[in-house]
Amino acid sequence: MNLQHGKEEQDVAERRARRSPDIDMTPMIDCVFLLIIFFMLATTFAPLPGIRVKLPPPGKPTKEKPKGLIMRVHRPEGGTKDGVMVLNEEIVTYEYAYSRFMTSSAEAKDMLIIQAERAVPHEQVVKIMDLAKRAGVEKIGFATTGQ
Amino acid sequence: MKLGRPKEKKAGPKLAMEPLVDCVFLLLIFFMISNILRVPPPFAVTLPESRARSEFARKRYNVFIDAIGRISVDDKMMPNGDALETFLFTNKDKIETLIIRADKATQHGYVTDVMERANRRGIESIAIAVNEDDYKGNM
Repeated sequence: MNLQHGKEEQDVAERRARRSPDIDMTPMIDCVFLLIIFFMLATTFAPLPGIRVKLPPPGKPTKEKPKGLIMRVHRPEGGTKDGVMVLNEEIVTYEYAYSRFMTSSAEAKDMLIIQAERAVPHEQVVKIMDLAKRAGVEKIGFATTGQ
Repeated sequence: MKLGRPKEKKAGPKLAMEPLVDCVFLLLIFFMISNILRVPPPFAVTLPESRARSEFARKRYNVFIDAIGRISVDDKMMPNGDALETFLFTNKDKIETLIIRADKATQHGYVTDVMERANRRGIESIAIAVNEDDYKGNM
């Protein structure tokens, strides 16, 4: 009787030893899921659209008159939204500027220099860049009139 | 009266959680490594629209300019142009292409200031960001 009782105790002890301790994974998985949701919302993979601008190397500006297309943009006056645009000494609208870009020679199309006054809205300059790029102008440079 | 040992709970079908946990950890590591956090500027910026556009990888150190000419690099405000120039100089190795995200209503002068300062500090590749939405203009 005593012997049987001792064997039972031994079996229970063995079973206890064999059973590995259970770790509750649920809270950790909850945390990990929250982290994943955070990273998924805060991450962006889509590329950013933009227009590349070429700038000359820093140094003294040359006195040579640049070749190609030169667009001067005056500050908007009299409550107008956009400033007056002058392409190679000729006042142009957006449509006319686009057709002039399109019909320019390949050499002239190599570069467009935008000479815009400081007060010209950025939107207008981007619009000119957009037209020039769509018409096949390769490089776009900037100059300021110092106003 | 029913007496006796309480009934043991029936063990339900056990789901093996290990593969799920593995996948979740892999996803977590992937997002942690590849993420570029959206860093909003300290002010609102409405980008101009353009149909012609190139695509640039999203990186850190974008210059934001708001409608009244305030400048920030990501979420860090720049008190003046000199501070911006110093910042660009110290981080120029990390900047592949400097992306200028200027508000469409801002003055062109502020944008050229930033471009000139970046160029002076040896950053040659500069791009002007445009609106990510489809072009809605008529021209």
